[in-house]
Amino acid sequence: MANVKQISVFVDNKPGQAAGAMRVIKENGINLRALSLADTADFGIVRFIANDTEKTVDILKAAGYPVNVTEVVAISIPDTPGQLSRVLDALGNDNVNVEYMYSFLGTSDRAVSFVIRVDDNAHASDVLTKNGIIQLTENDIAEM
Amino acid sequence: MEKYWNPEIECMSREDMKKLQDERLVAQVKHVYDNVKYYRDLMDEKGVKPEDIKSTDDLHKLPFLSKADLRDAYPYGLLAKPLSECVRIHSTSGTTGKRVVAFYTQHDIDLWDECVARAITAAGGTNEDVCQIAYGFGLFTGGAGLNGGSHKVGCLTMPMSSGNTERQITFMQDLGATILCCTPSYAAYIGETVQEMGLTPDDLKLKAGIFGAEPWTEEMRRSIEKSLGIKAYDIYGLTETSGPGVAFECSEQTGMHINEDNFIPEIIDPETGEVLPEGEVGELVFTSITKEAFPLLRYRTRDLCVLSRKKCSCGRTLIKMAKPMGRSDDMMIIRGVNVFPSQIETVLIEQGYSPNYLIEVDRVNNTDTLDINVEMNPEQFSDKVKDMQKQERALADAMKLMIGINPKVHLVSPKSITRSEGKAVRVIDKRKLHD
Repeated sequence: MANVKQISVFVDNKPGQAAGAMRVIKENGINLRALSLADTADFGIVRFIANDTEKTVDILKAAGYPVNVTEVVAISIPDTPGQLSRVLDALGNDNVNVEYMYSFLGTSDRAVSFVIRVDDNAHASDVLTKNGIIQLTENDIAEM
Repeated sequence: MEKYWNPEIECMSREDMKKLQDERLVAQVKHVYDNVKYYRDLMDEKGVKPEDIKSTDDLHKLPFLSKADLRDAYPYGLLAKPLSECVRIHSTSGTTGKRVVAFYTQHDIDLWDECVARAITAAGGTNEDVCQIAYGFGLFTGGAGLNGGSHKVGCLTMPMSSGNTERQITFMQDLGATILCCTPSYAAYIGETVQEMGLTPDDLKLKAGIFGAEPWTEEMRRSIEKSLGIKAYDIYGLTETSGPGVAFECSEQTGMHINEDNFIPEIIDPETGEVLPEGEVGELVFTSITKEAFPLLRYRTRDLCVLSRKKCSCGRTLIKMAKPMGRSDDMMIIRGVNVFPSQIETVLIEQGYSPNYLIEVDRVNNTDTLDINVEMNPEQFSDKVKDMQKQERALADAMKLMIGINPKVHLVSPKSITRSEGKAVRVIDKRKLHD
Protein backbone atom coordinates (compact mmCIF):
# COMPACT_ATOMS: atom_id res chain seq x y z
CA MET A 1 0.00 0.00 0.00
CA ALA A 2 1.32 3.36 -0.99
CA ASN A 3 -0.74 5.60 1.23
CA VAL A 4 0.62 8.87 2.49
CA LYS A 5 -0.13 10.49 5.86
CA GLN A 6 -1.81 13.87 5.70
CA ILE A 7 -2.04 16.20 8.70
CA SER A 8 -5.09 18.44 9.17
CA VAL A 9 -5.28 21.38 11.58
CA PHE A 10 -8.38 23.27 12.70
CA VAL A 11 -7.99 27.04 12.65
CA ASP A 12 -10.44 29.85 13.30
CA ASN A 13 -11.45 31.89 10.28
CA LYS A 14 -9.76 35.02 11.61
CA PRO A 15 -6.71 36.96 10.52
CA GLY A 16 -3.43 35.33 11.48
CA GLN A 17 -4.85 31.98 12.56
CA ALA A 18 -3.35 29.83 9.81
CA ALA A 19 -0.15 31.88 10.07
CA GLY A 20 0.10 30.90 13.73
CA ALA A 21 0.06 27.20 12.91
CA MET A 22 2.62 27.73 10.14
CA ARG A 23 4.89 29.62 12.53
CA VAL A 24 4.91 26.68 14.92
CA ILE A 25 5.89 24.40 12.04
CA LYS A 26 8.63 26.72 10.82
CA GLU A 27 10.08 27.22 14.28
CA ASN A 28 10.52 23.48 14.58
CA GLY A 29 12.36 23.18 11.30
CA ILE A 30 9.69 21.12 9.59
CA ASN A 31 9.38 21.21 5.84
CA LEU A 32 6.03 20.99 4.10
CA ARG A 33 5.67 19.13 0.81
CA ALA A 34 2.07 19.91 -0.03
CA LEU A 35 -0.59 22.13 1.46
CA SER A 36 -4.18 23.23 0.95
CA LEU A 37 -6.58 25.33 2.95
CA ALA A 38 -10.32 24.66 3.04
CA ASP A 39 -12.38 27.41 4.58
CA THR A 40 -15.93 28.06 5.72
CA ALA A 41 -17.39 31.23 7.20
CA ASP A 42 -16.47 30.00 10.70
CA PHE A 43 -13.29 28.00 10.48
CA GLY A 44 -10.61 26.70 8.21
CA ILE A 45 -8.94 23.32 7.83
CA VAL A 46 -5.28 23.41 6.84
CA ARG A 47 -4.22 20.11 5.28
CA PHE A 48 -0.66 19.28 4.47
CA ILE A 49 2.02 16.66 4.12
CA ALA A 50 5.15 17.15 6.21
CA ASN A 51 8.57 15.52 6.10
CA ASP A 52 8.09 14.24 9.69
CA THR A 53 4.43 13.50 10.46
CA GLU A 54 4.86 12.28 14.03
CA LYS A 55 6.95 15.23 15.17
CA THR A 56 4.65 17.72 13.44
CA VAL A 57 1.56 16.27 15.13
CA ASP A 58 3.28 16.39 18.53
CA ILE A 59 4.36 20.01 18.28
CA LEU A 60 0.99 21.18 16.94
CA LYS A 61 -0.87 19.37 19.72
CA ALA A 62 1.50 20.84 22.29
CA ALA A 63 0.73 24.29 20.85
CA GLY A 64 -2.97 23.58 21.44
CA TYR A 65 -4.17 22.98 17.88
CA PRO A 66 -6.76 20.30 17.12
CA VAL A 67 -4.95 17.93 14.77
CA ASN A 68 -5.85 14.79 12.92
CA VAL A 69 -3.99 12.44 10.62
CA THR A 70 -5.63 10.74 7.65
CA GLU A 71 -4.22 8.55 4.95
CA VAL A 72 -4.50 9.88 1.45
CA VAL A 73 -3.37 8.78 -1.98
CA ALA A 74 -0.67 10.77 -3.78
CA ILE A 75 -0.06 10.43 -7.52
CA SER A 76 2.35 11.77 -10.08
CA ILE A 77 1.12 12.27 -13.64
CA PRO A 78 2.67 13.74 -16.77
CA ASP A 79 2.19 17.48 -17.16
CA THR A 80 0.20 17.22 -20.40
CA PRO A 81 -3.43 18.03 -21.23
CA GLY A 82 -6.07 15.44 -20.28
CA GLN A 83 -4.01 13.56 -17.69
CA LEU A 84 -6.01 14.56 -14.63
CA SER A 85 -9.25 13.91 -16.44
CA ARG A 86 -8.03 10.39 -17.18
CA VAL A 87 -7.33 9.77 -13.48
CA LEU A 88 -10.71 11.07 -12.36
CA ASP A 89 -12.51 9.04 -15.02
CA ALA A 90 -10.73 5.91 -13.89
CA LEU A 91 -11.71 6.50 -10.27
CA GLY A 92 -15.26 7.49 -11.16
CA ASN A 93 -15.79 4.43 -13.36
CA ASP A 94 -14.89 2.25 -10.43
CA ASN A 95 -17.11 4.16 -8.00
CA VAL A 96 -14.36 5.80 -5.99
CA ASN A 97 -15.71 8.98 -4.46
CA VAL A 98 -13.19 11.83 -4.30
CA GLU A 99 -13.76 14.01 -1.21
CA TYR A 100 -11.21 16.62 -2.21
CA MET A 101 -7.86 16.92 -3.94
CA TYR A 102 -5.04 19.39 -4.32
CA SER A 103 -1.94 19.64 -6.45
CA PHE A 104 1.60 20.18 -5.37
CA LEU A 105 4.93 20.72 -7.06
CA GLY A 106 7.24 17.80 -7.56
CA THR A 107 10.86 18.01 -8.57
CA SER A 108 10.36 17.25 -12.24
CA ASP A 109 9.09 19.93 -14.56
CA ARG A 110 7.48 17.28 -16.72
CA ALA A 111 5.27 15.77 -14.02
CA VAL A 112 2.72 17.14 -11.59
CA SER A 113 1.61 15.63 -8.28
CA PHE A 114 -1.75 15.45 -6.56
CA VAL A 115 -3.06 14.50 -3.14
CA ILE A 116 -6.42 12.75 -3.41
CA ARG A 117 -8.70 12.15 -0.41
CA VAL A 118 -11.07 9.23 -0.89
CA ASP A 119 -13.07 7.12 1.54
CA ASP A 120 -11.57 3.79 0.53
CA ASN A 121 -7.83 4.07 -0.01
CA ALA A 122 -7.27 0.40 -0.83
CA HIS A 123 -9.89 0.42 -3.52
CA ALA A 124 -8.59 3.69 -4.98
CA SER A 125 -5.07 2.36 -4.95
CA ASP A 126 -6.09 -0.76 -6.86
CA VAL A 127 -7.93 1.28 -9.46
CA LEU A 128 -4.93 3.57 -9.95
CA THR A 129 -2.53 0.65 -10.28
CA LYS A 130 -4.83 -1.07 -12.75
CA ASN A 131 -4.80 2.10 -14.87
CA GLY A 132 -1.04 2.49 -14.74
CA ILE A 133 -1.02 5.68 -12.70
CA ILE A 134 2.09 6.26 -10.59
CA GLN A 135 1.46 6.49 -6.85
CA LEU A 136 3.91 8.22 -4.58
CA THR A 137 5.05 6.76 -1.27
CA GLU A 138 5.96 8.78 1.80
CA ASN A 139 9.60 8.23 0.90
CA ASP A 140 9.06 9.56 -2.59
CA ILE A 141 7.56 12.72 -1.17
CA ALA A 142 10.20 13.09 1.52
CA GLU A 143 12.90 12.96 -1.12
CA MET A 144 11.32 15.65 -3.27
CA MET B 1 -24.43 9.87 58.56
CA GLU B 2 -25.66 13.34 57.75
CA LYS B 3 -23.96 15.98 59.86
CA TYR B 4 -25.57 19.26 60.90
CA TRP B 5 -23.94 22.42 62.10
CA ASN B 6 -26.99 23.52 64.06
CA PRO B 7 -29.39 20.57 64.32
CA GLU B 8 -31.78 22.46 66.59
CA ILE B 9 -32.54 24.96 63.83
CA GLU B 10 -31.89 22.79 60.78
CA CYS B 11 -34.23 20.03 61.95
CA MET B 12 -36.73 22.19 63.85
CA SER B 13 -40.41 21.33 63.54
CA ARG B 14 -42.41 23.51 61.15
CA GLU B 15 -44.51 24.78 64.06
CA ASP B 16 -41.53 25.92 66.09
CA MET B 17 -39.92 27.47 63.01
CA LYS B 18 -43.05 29.44 62.21
CA LYS B 19 -43.20 30.70 65.78
CA LEU B 20 -39.58 31.80 65.58
CA GLN B 21 -40.18 33.51 62.23
CA ASP B 22 -43.33 35.23 63.51
CA GLU B 23 -41.49 36.73 66.49
CA ARG B 24 -38.52 37.79 64.44
CA LEU B 25 -40.60 39.28 61.63
CA VAL B 26 -42.69 41.41 64.00
CA ALA B 27 -39.55 42.79 65.67
CA GLN B 28 -37.83 43.32 62.32
CA VAL B 29 -40.71 45.27 60.77
CA LYS B 30 -40.68 47.58 63.79
CA HIS B 31 -36.89 47.99 63.56
CA VAL B 32 -37.11 48.87 59.86
CA TYR B 33 -40.09 51.21 60.25
CA ASP B 34 -38.36 53.09 63.07
CA ASN B 35 -34.96 53.39 61.41
CA VAL B 36 -35.34 53.34 57.62
CA LYS B 37 -37.18 56.35 56.25
CA TYR B 38 -37.16 54.97 52.70
CA TYR B 39 -39.13 51.86 53.70
CA ARG B 40 -41.31 53.74 56.20
CA ASP B 41 -42.44 55.95 53.31
CA LEU B 42 -43.26 52.87 51.22
CA MET B 43 -45.29 51.38 54.09
CA ASP B 44 -47.10 54.65 54.74
CA GLU B 45 -47.89 54.97 51.07
CA LYS B 46 -49.44 51.49 51.17
CA GLY B 47 -51.21 52.29 54.44
CA VAL B 48 -49.47 49.52 56.41
CA LYS B 49 -48.38 50.10 60.01
CA PRO B 50 -45.95 47.89 61.94
CA GLU B 51 -48.89 46.83 64.18
CA ASP B 52 -50.60 45.31 61.13
CA ILE B 53 -47.87 42.70 60.90
CA LYS B 54 -48.65 40.21 63.65
CA SER B 55 -47.14 37.09 62.09
CA THR B 56 -45.71 35.71 58.85
CA ASP B 57 -49.31 35.36 57.65
CA ASP B 58 -49.31 39.16 57.25
CA LEU B 59 -46.10 39.26 55.23
CA HIS B 60 -47.96 39.80 51.96
CA LYS B 61 -49.21 43.18 53.24
CA LEU B 62 -45.71 44.66 53.15
CA PRO B 63 -44.43 46.55 50.10
CA PHE B 64 -41.75 45.01 47.88
CA LEU B 65 -38.24 46.27 47.45
CA SER B 66 -36.56 45.94 44.09
CA LYS B 67 -33.09 46.49 42.74
CA ALA B 68 -34.29 49.89 41.52
CA ASP B 69 -35.12 50.85 45.13
CA LEU B 70 -31.62 49.87 46.17
CA ARG B 71 -30.17 52.12 43.51
CA ASP B 72 -32.46 55.00 44.47
CA ALA B 73 -31.51 54.63 48.11
CA TYR B 74 -27.77 54.38 47.36
CA PRO B 75 -25.71 54.51 49.46
CA TYR B 76 -27.26 54.98 52.93
CA GLY B 77 -31.00 55.13 52.25
CA LEU B 78 -31.76 51.60 53.50
CA LEU B 79 -29.29 51.56 56.36
CA ALA B 80 -30.97 50.74 59.68
CA LYS B 81 -28.04 51.18 62.09
CA PRO B 82 -25.64 54.02 62.73
CA LEU B 83 -22.43 53.66 60.74
CA SER B 84 -20.52 53.47 64.02
CA GLU B 85 -22.16 50.07 64.61
CA CYS B 86 -21.33 48.79 61.13
CA VAL B 87 -18.08 46.93 60.54
CA ARG B 88 -18.09 46.06 56.85
CA ILE B 89 -19.52 46.76 53.42
CA HIS B 90 -19.86 44.50 50.39
CA SER B 91 -21.07 45.34 46.93
CA THR B 92 -22.63 43.69 43.92
CA SER B 93 -20.57 43.23 40.80
CA GLY B 94 -22.49 46.16 39.32
CA THR B 95 -22.50 44.92 35.75
CA THR B 96 -25.84 46.60 35.18
CA GLY B 97 -25.83 50.21 36.28
CA LYS B 98 -25.01 51.56 39.71
CA ARG B 99 -23.58 49.25 42.32
CA VAL B 100 -25.57 48.11 45.32
CA VAL B 101 -23.78 48.51 48.62
CA ALA B 102 -24.75 46.43 51.67
CA PHE B 103 -23.72 47.07 55.27
CA TYR B 104 -23.00 44.62 58.08
CA THR B 105 -22.78 44.87 61.85
CA GLN B 106 -20.58 42.34 63.65
CA HIS B 107 -23.78 40.46 64.54
CA ASP B 108 -24.74 40.34 60.84
CA ILE B 109 -21.32 38.89 60.00
CA ASP B 110 -21.67 36.29 62.77
CA LEU B 111 -25.06 35.16 61.46
CA TRP B 112 -23.72 35.05 57.90
CA ASP B 113 -20.78 32.89 59.03
CA GLU B 114 -23.29 30.62 60.80
CA CYS B 115 -25.29 30.19 57.58
CA VAL B 116 -22.17 29.33 55.59
CA ALA B 117 -20.98 26.97 58.35
CA ARG B 118 -24.24 25.03 57.87
CA ALA B 119 -23.50 24.82 54.14
CA ILE B 120 -19.94 23.58 54.65
CA THR B 121 -21.10 21.01 57.20
CA ALA B 122 -23.83 19.80 54.82
CA ALA B 123 -21.08 19.26 52.21
CA GLY B 124 -19.31 17.03 54.72
CA GLY B 125 -16.89 19.63 56.07
CA THR B 126 -15.46 19.43 59.61
CA ASN B 127 -12.45 20.88 61.41
CA GLU B 128 -10.40 18.07 59.81
CA ASP B 129 -10.87 19.62 56.37
CA VAL B 130 -8.70 21.92 54.29
CA CYS B 131 -10.95 24.42 52.56
CA GLN B 132 -9.64 26.19 49.44
CA ILE B 133 -11.52 29.38 48.72
CA ALA B 134 -11.11 30.36 45.09
CA TYR B 135 -13.96 32.84 45.00
CA GLY B 136 -12.83 36.42 44.49
CA PHE B 137 -12.05 38.29 47.70
CA GLY B 138 -12.85 41.96 48.01
CA LEU B 139 -16.20 43.69 47.71
CA PHE B 140 -17.69 40.52 46.19
CA THR B 141 -19.34 38.45 48.92
CA GLY B 142 -18.14 35.05 47.64
CA GLY B 143 -14.63 35.05 49.10
CA ALA B 144 -15.48 36.69 52.43
CA GLY B 145 -18.61 34.58 52.94
CA LEU B 146 -16.98 31.20 52.48
CA ASN B 147 -13.90 32.38 54.37
CA GLY B 148 -16.03 33.26 57.41
CA GLY B 149 -17.98 30.01 57.33
CA SER B 150 -14.85 27.95 56.89
CA HIS B 151 -13.27 29.58 59.95
CA LYS B 152 -16.43 29.00 61.96
CA VAL B 153 -16.39 25.29 61.14
CA GLY B 154 -12.68 25.24 61.99
CA CYS B 155 -11.42 24.09 58.60
CA LEU B 156 -7.85 24.91 57.70
CA THR B 157 -8.71 27.77 55.36
CA MET B 158 -6.80 28.69 52.20
CA PRO B 159 -7.98 32.19 51.15
CA MET B 160 -6.67 31.89 47.57
CA SER B 161 -9.09 34.25 45.86
CA SER B 162 -9.64 33.52 42.15
CA GLY B 163 -7.07 33.39 39.38
CA ASN B 164 -3.59 32.00 38.90
CA THR B 165 -5.07 28.61 38.21
CA GLU B 166 -1.88 26.54 38.08
CA ARG B 167 -0.87 27.89 41.49
CA GLN B 168 -4.36 27.01 42.77
CA ILE B 169 -3.81 23.43 41.68
CA THR B 170 -0.27 23.26 43.07
CA PHE B 171 -1.53 24.45 46.48
CA MET B 172 -4.49 22.11 46.22
CA GLN B 173 -2.13 19.20 45.71
CA ASP B 174 0.69 20.21 48.09
CA LEU B 175 -1.56 21.20 51.00
CA GLY B 176 -4.16 18.51 50.49
CA ALA B 177 -7.24 20.69 50.00
CA THR B 178 -10.40 18.62 50.57
CA ILE B 179 -13.08 21.21 49.80
CA LEU B 180 -13.05 23.68 46.91
CA CYS B 181 -15.25 26.79 46.98
CA CYS B 182 -15.63 28.94 43.84
CA THR B 183 -17.98 29.75 40.98
CA PRO B 184 -19.04 26.71 38.93
CA SER B 185 -17.47 28.15 35.78
CA TYR B 186 -14.15 28.51 37.58
CA ALA B 187 -14.46 24.98 38.97
CA ALA B 188 -14.92 23.71 35.41
CA TYR B 189 -11.81 25.62 34.35
CA ILE B 190 -9.81 24.24 37.27
CA GLY B 191 -10.92 20.73 36.28
CA GLU B 192 -9.78 21.33 32.72
CA THR B 193 -6.42 22.69 33.90
CA VAL B 194 -5.86 19.72 36.24
CA GLN B 195 -6.10 17.49 33.20
CA GLU B 196 -3.80 19.72 31.15
CA MET B 197 -1.19 19.58 33.89
CA GLY B 198 -1.18 15.81 33.47
CA LEU B 199 -2.93 15.20 36.81
CA THR B 200 -5.98 13.09 37.60
CA PRO B 201 -8.49 13.40 40.45
CA ASP B 202 -6.49 10.67 42.21
CA ASP B 203 -3.60 13.11 42.60
CA LEU B 204 -5.88 15.39 44.64
CA LYS B 205 -7.50 14.96 48.05
CA LEU B 206 -10.59 16.94 47.08
CA LYS B 207 -13.87 15.35 48.17
CA ALA B 208 -16.39 18.16 47.85
CA GLY B 209 -16.98 21.47 46.12
CA ILE B 210 -19.30 24.29 47.12
CA PHE B 211 -20.16 26.28 44.03
CA GLY B 212 -22.45 29.26 43.55
CA ALA B 213 -22.85 32.90 42.54
CA GLU B 214 -24.01 32.06 39.03
CA PRO B 215 -26.58 29.74 37.48
CA TRP B 216 -25.32 26.31 36.46
CA THR B 217 -26.94 23.18 35.17
CA GLU B 218 -27.19 19.60 36.43
CA GLU B 219 -25.07 18.54 33.42
CA MET B 220 -22.35 20.97 34.44
CA ARG B 221 -22.47 19.57 37.98
CA ARG B 222 -21.85 16.04 36.72
CA SER B 223 -19.03 17.19 34.49
CA ILE B 224 -17.28 19.09 37.33
CA GLU B 225 -17.78 16.13 39.68
CA LYS B 226 -16.11 13.85 37.19
CA SER B 227 -13.21 16.14 36.35
CA LEU B 228 -12.30 16.78 39.99
CA GLY B 229 -13.48 13.50 41.56
CA ILE B 230 -15.79 15.26 44.03
CA LYS B 231 -19.39 15.71 45.05
CA ALA B 232 -20.48 19.22 44.01
CA TYR B 233 -22.88 21.20 46.20
CA ASP B 234 -24.80 24.28 45.20
CA ILE B 235 -24.93 27.35 47.44
CA TYR B 236 -27.18 30.36 46.97
CA GLY B 237 -27.15 33.91 48.15
CA LEU B 238 -27.06 37.50 47.09
CA THR B 239 -25.28 40.56 48.35
CA GLU B 240 -28.61 42.23 49.10
CA THR B 241 -29.47 39.63 51.74
CA SER B 242 -25.88 38.96 53.00
CA GLY B 243 -24.09 36.79 50.46
CA PRO B 244 -23.70 33.05 49.85
CA GLY B 245 -25.39 30.92 52.50
CA VAL B 246 -28.97 32.09 52.17
CA ALA B 247 -29.59 28.53 50.98
CA PHE B 248 -27.37 25.49 50.61
CA GLU B 249 -27.48 21.98 49.29
CA CYS B 250 -27.39 18.74 51.30
CA SER B 251 -26.33 15.22 50.26
CA GLU B 252 -29.61 14.70 48.38
CA GLN B 253 -28.55 17.33 45.77
CA THR B 254 -32.15 18.09 44.86
CA GLY B 255 -32.43 21.73 45.78
CA MET B 256 -31.15 24.03 48.49
CA HIS B 257 -32.35 24.36 52.08
CA ILE B 258 -33.12 27.96 52.90
CA ASN B 259 -31.88 29.22 56.27
CA GLU B 260 -35.43 30.08 57.23
CA ASP B 261 -34.55 31.28 60.69
CA ASN B 262 -32.92 34.25 58.94
CA PHE B 263 -34.66 34.57 55.60
CA ILE B 264 -38.34 34.05 54.83
CA PRO B 265 -38.85 33.07 51.18
CA GLU B 266 -41.92 33.72 49.06
CA ILE B 267 -42.65 32.95 45.43
CA ILE B 268 -44.61 35.61 43.58
CA ASP B 269 -46.03 36.12 40.15
CA PRO B 270 -43.48 38.53 38.65
CA GLU B 271 -46.22 40.34 36.71
CA THR B 272 -48.86 40.86 39.41
CA GLY B 273 -46.80 40.55 42.58
CA GLU B 274 -49.29 38.04 43.94
CA VAL B 275 -47.96 35.30 46.25
CA LEU B 276 -48.07 31.89 44.55
CA PRO B 277 -48.71 28.57 46.30
CA GLU B 278 -45.87 26.15 47.05
CA GLY B 279 -44.74 24.27 43.95
CA GLU B 280 -45.45 27.01 41.44
CA VAL B 281 -42.70 28.70 39.45
CA GLY B 282 -42.28 32.38 40.12
CA GLU B 283 -39.94 35.08 41.33
CA LEU B 284 -38.18 34.44 44.59
CA VAL B 285 -38.63 37.10 47.27
CA PHE B 286 -36.70 37.24 50.56
CA THR B 287 -37.37 38.96 53.85
CA SER B 288 -34.37 39.20 56.17
CA ILE B 289 -35.63 38.75 59.71
CA THR B 290 -32.35 38.87 61.61
CA LYS B 291 -30.19 41.37 59.76
CA GLU B 292 -29.49 44.56 61.69
CA ALA B 293 -27.66 46.96 59.38
CA PHE B 294 -29.25 46.26 56.02
CA PRO B 295 -32.55 44.49 56.66
CA LEU B 296 -34.42 44.16 53.39
CA LEU B 297 -38.11 43.26 53.61
CA ARG B 298 -39.71 41.47 50.66
CA TYR B 299 -36.74 41.92 48.36
CA ARG B 300 -37.41 40.75 44.82
CA THR B 301 -34.42 38.68 43.70
CA ARG B 302 -35.46 38.36 40.01
CA ASP B 303 -34.52 34.68 40.35
CA LEU B 304 -37.15 32.33 38.98
CA CYS B 305 -37.62 29.14 40.97
CA VAL B 306 -39.87 26.80 42.94
CA LEU B 307 -40.12 26.14 46.70
CA SER B 308 -40.81 22.74 48.22
CA ARG B 309 -41.58 21.47 51.71
CA LYS B 310 -41.28 17.84 50.64
CA LYS B 311 -39.52 15.79 53.32
CA CYS B 312 -35.80 15.63 52.63
CA SER B 313 -33.80 12.45 53.18
CA CYS B 314 -31.06 14.46 54.93
CA GLY B 315 -33.36 15.08 57.89
CA ARG B 316 -33.40 18.87 57.59
CA THR B 317 -36.82 20.47 57.80
CA LEU B 318 -35.72 23.77 56.26
CA ILE B 319 -37.76 24.57 53.15
CA LYS B 320 -36.01 23.87 49.85
CA MET B 321 -35.65 26.03 46.76
CA ALA B 322 -34.94 24.48 43.39
CA LYS B 323 -31.89 25.61 41.49
CA PRO B 324 -33.01 28.93 39.98
CA MET B 325 -33.85 28.54 36.31
CA GLY B 326 -31.99 31.72 35.75
CA ARG B 327 -32.15 35.26 36.97
CA SER B 328 -34.84 37.10 35.08
CA ASP B 329 -31.93 39.40 34.08
CA ASP B 330 -30.21 36.50 32.31
CA MET B 331 -33.30 35.61 30.34
CA MET B 332 -33.12 36.66 26.72
CA ILE B 333 -36.26 37.28 24.75
CA ILE B 334 -35.43 36.28 21.21
CA ARG B 335 -38.14 36.51 18.57
CA GLY B 336 -40.58 36.58 21.45
CA VAL B 337 -39.31 33.34 22.99
CA ASN B 338 -37.75 33.20 26.47
CA VAL B 339 -34.27 31.70 26.30
CA PHE B 340 -31.91 31.04 29.19
CA PRO B 341 -28.17 30.51 28.73
CA SER B 342 -28.52 27.43 30.97
CA GLN B 343 -30.56 25.71 28.23
CA ILE B 344 -27.74 26.20 25.75
CA GLU B 345 -25.26 24.88 28.32
CA THR B 346 -27.34 21.74 28.87
CA VAL B 347 -27.25 20.90 25.17
CA LEU B 348 -23.51 21.52 24.88
CA ILE B 349 -22.61 19.23 27.77
CA GLU B 350 -25.01 16.52 26.57
CA GLN B 351 -23.34 16.56 23.17
CA GLY B 352 -19.84 16.37 24.60
CA TYR B 353 -18.77 19.99 24.12
CA SER B 354 -17.04 22.33 26.55
CA PRO B 355 -19.43 24.42 28.68
CA ASN B 356 -17.52 27.51 27.57
CA TYR B 357 -19.61 29.29 25.00
CA LEU B 358 -20.58 32.75 23.90
CA ILE B 359 -24.05 33.76 22.83
CA GLU B 360 -24.45 36.76 20.56
CA VAL B 361 -27.89 38.22 20.06
CA ASP B 362 -28.45 40.88 17.45
CA ARG B 363 -31.19 42.35 15.32
CA VAL B 364 -30.85 42.35 11.57
CA ASN B 365 -33.68 43.78 9.41
CA ASN B 366 -35.97 43.77 12.46
CA THR B 367 -35.42 40.07 13.10
CA ASP B 368 -33.53 38.83 16.14
CA THR B 369 -30.54 36.66 15.37
CA LEU B 370 -29.00 34.15 17.74
CA ASP B 371 -25.41 33.09 17.17
CA ILE B 372 -23.69 30.63 19.46
CA ASN B 373 -19.94 30.22 19.43
CA VAL B 374 -18.97 26.77 20.61
CA GLU B 375 -15.49 25.41 21.15
CA MET B 376 -15.05 22.43 18.83
CA ASN B 377 -14.24 19.05 20.33
CA PRO B 378 -10.73 18.04 19.12
CA GLU B 379 -11.69 14.38 19.38
CA GLN B 380 -14.35 14.91 16.74
CA PHE B 381 -12.13 16.90 14.39
CA SER B 382 -12.29 15.69 10.81
CA ASP B 383 -10.32 16.83 7.79
CA LYS B 384 -13.57 16.95 5.82
CA VAL B 385 -15.42 20.26 5.84
CA LYS B 386 -18.73 18.47 5.38
CA ASP B 387 -18.21 16.48 8.61
CA MET B 388 -17.50 19.62 10.59
CA GLN B 389 -20.51 21.40 9.16
CA LYS B 390 -22.60 18.37 10.06
CA GLN B 391 -21.51 18.85 13.69
CA GLU B 392 -22.61 22.50 13.59
CA ARG B 393 -25.98 21.51 12.18
CA ALA B 394 -26.46 18.72 14.74
CA LEU B 395 -25.81 21.17 17.58
CA ALA B 396 -28.15 23.76 16.09
CA ASP B 397 -30.87 21.11 15.73
CA ALA B 398 -30.46 19.97 19.36
CA MET B 399 -30.67 23.59 20.52
CA LYS B 400 -33.72 24.22 18.41
CA LEU B 401 -35.42 21.29 20.15
CA MET B 402 -34.50 22.76 23.54
CA ILE B 403 -35.31 26.45 23.03
CA GLY B 404 -37.75 26.43 20.15
CA ILE B 405 -35.84 28.75 17.86
CA ASN B 406 -33.11 28.10 15.37
CA PRO B 407 -29.67 29.37 16.35
CA LYS B 408 -26.61 29.63 14.16
CA VAL B 409 -23.80 27.56 15.65
CA HIS B 410 -20.18 28.47 14.95
CA LEU B 411 -17.39 26.10 15.85
CA VAL B 412 -14.29 27.88 17.12
CA SER B 413 -10.91 26.68 18.37
CA PRO B 414 -10.68 24.99 21.76
CA LYS B 415 -9.88 27.47 24.56
CA SER B 416 -10.45 30.46 22.30
CA ILE B 417 -13.40 31.63 24.39
CA THR B 418 -12.12 33.49 27.44
CA ARG B 419 -12.18 31.43 30.64
CA SER B 420 -13.79 32.99 33.64
CA GLU B 421 -12.18 33.13 37.04
CA GLY B 422 -15.28 34.64 38.56
CA LYS B 423 -18.71 35.10 37.07
CA ALA B 424 -18.67 34.10 33.42
CA VAL B 425 -19.91 36.41 30.66
CA ARG B 426 -22.04 34.20 28.38
CA VAL B 427 -24.19 36.64 26.48
CA ILE B 428 -23.49 39.66 24.32
CA ASP B 429 -26.73 41.34 23.41
CA LYS B 430 -25.92 43.74 20.61
CA ARG B 431 -29.56 44.78 20.31
CA LYS B 432 -29.01 47.00 23.33
CA LEU B 433 -26.37 48.93 21.40
CA HIS B 434 -28.91 49.91 18.76
CA ASP B 435 -31.73 50.95 21.11
